[in-house]
Amino acid sequence: MSTDNLPKKMDRRRLIKNGMQLTLGLSLVSIAGWSAFKSTSDRLVWQLDPFKCVQCGRCAKECVMTPSAVKCVHAFNLCGYCDLCGGYLKPDPNARTTAAENQLCPTAAIKRKYIEDPYFEYEIDEALCIGCAKCVAGCTSFGNGSLHLQVRHDRCKNCNECAIARVCPAEAFQRVPISSPYLIKGGFTKGKNG
Amino acid sequence: MNRKLINGLLIFFALAIMAIIVWDFVGNKAGKNVPNPYEYNIDEFRKVDSLKVIYKEILNFPVVADVLSGIAISDSLIIVAAGNEIIKFDISGKEVFRKAIQDSSICLTVDANRDIWIATRHYIAQYNSNGSLLNRWNSFGDRSVITSLAVSGDRVFVADAGNRIVYHCDKTGKIVQKIGEKNGQNGVPGYVIPSPFMDLAVDDEGFLWVVNTGRHSFENYNADGSLRTSWGIAGMKIEGFSGCCNPAEMAIMDDNSFVTSEKGLPRIKLYGQHGELKGIIAPPESFNQDSYYAPDVAVDANYQVFALDYARKQVRIFKLK
Ligand code: SF4
Ligand code: SF4
Ligand code: SF4
Repeated sequence: MSTDNLPKKMDRRRLIKNGMQLTLGLSLVSIAGWSAFKSTSDRLVWQLDPFKCVQCGRCAKECVMTPSAVKCVHAFNLCGYCDLCGGYLKPDPNARTTAAENQLCPTAAIKRKYIEDPYFEYEIDEALCIGCAKCVAGCTSFGNGSLHLQVRHDRCKNCNECAIARVCPAEAFQRVPISSPYLIKGGFTKGKNG
Repeated sequence: MNRKLINGLLIFFALAIMAIIVWDFVGNKAGKNVPNPYEYNIDEFRKVDSLKVIYKEILNFPVVADVLSGIAISDSLIIVAAGNEIIKFDISGKEVFRKAIQDSSICLTVDANRDIWIATRHYIAQYNSNGSLLNRWNSFGDRSVITSLAVSGDRVFVADAGNRIVYHCDKTGKIVQKIGEKNGQNGVPGYVIPSPFMDLAVDDEGFLWVVNTGRHSFENYNADGSLRTSWGIAGMKIEGFSGCCNPAEMAIMDDNSFVTSEKGLPRIKLYGQHGELKGIIAPPESFNQDSYYAPDVAVDANYQVFALDYARKQVRIFKLK
């Protein structure tokens, strides 16, 4: 058996091995670097796009904060100030009153205030809101969609990887510049073509 | 030895990272289907007594367009306003006409001369049946949000949800009178329009009917703009109109019965001229479960109902069973 080629084979093996080491090393370094960049970056914060949200309830359960850093916010300029509010009242309520049995919100976080016949104003008590999106679903289906969720930055820890973003079925979460940290609904509602 | 240790550690870390990535990916996917304890559930209202469904769907066909605006029937032709296009179909669903127009439509109607009247958000445009522009009115102003129009003889009625008013105009666009302003003297309660849905139509006897969606009521007006009569019932149950503002769309049949179409919980129903529920034309379960848009509706002389389903981008035809 000839051994003429042995040093060459050894060289190639070493080359491959060194290459693999280098590739693995670089991968680990880049992953570590990316994590470090994400954790130290203070220019971006987490926010959710209310037009993508499908009201799955995860914002209430998955946030690392208790209660969730996601809260319902109200775009008053979109609200119809409805008496029969789909976000405030249970479907087919016994009466259009503030009685607990008629309220949709599991924590009674929405305050209903009479303005003038037949208009009512709805305000969110953020301390009570758990970000469950039940009212958002009711308002989006039957009203103007003025109730919607937002990550509240006075509560959000801006985790490296937002625990809700990981599981959001609508992929509604994104990083936004800290200088404009909210994606608030505005203008007139989307029309019948969505 | 050192080199072997380093190799081993690198491979271990690489495998560990891969395992975490795979676990995360699979975990996320699986987690996407977990039940929602806070679900807004209206399933009980989606179910209806099948005996109450008095129409059946006999045909549906797609409308190829980016945006759908409204539907009307004229001479057995189905006319669809689709953004900046007018499209006509014959009764079998075959497209027979398509023309681009300058005006971005919100809704349409067809008059006795077969002219096609298009409402944009702020103004009205009149086209002949070939889609040639005949007239374009001045704007009703920046606050206006036109949601419906009807032509009866030389009267044109325009519903403006933004200003919560109905304009009675002549065919040139001159305002003859404003209808629906709150007035205790003539019994007009005033429009409550929480969202841009406010339909109107003229009945067989020439009387104007306007849907006061926030009050869930149909209001009928005399020629002088005074209130003649009204009816309506709010509620998620099948007899009522659900949500904050319904019915979003309606049409009046030759026998003066009403076809109503609701948003939120899409369903199409038939009411008698005094507001009694006659039956269901299309139950909620005949629409996409994730859709909350009210189909626009039109009727023909044979009591057939034509629905423009925005979610499915279809014209759907329903006939009495
Ligand atoms: S997880 Fe996503 S879809 Fe679910 S409620 Fe939050 S933003 Fe909406
Ligand atoms: S229903 Fe849920 S999201 Fe809405 S206010 Fe109540 S707790 Fe907040
Ligand atoms: S970044 Fe963290 S604290 Fe903020 S919403 Fe997501 S999980 Fe909650």
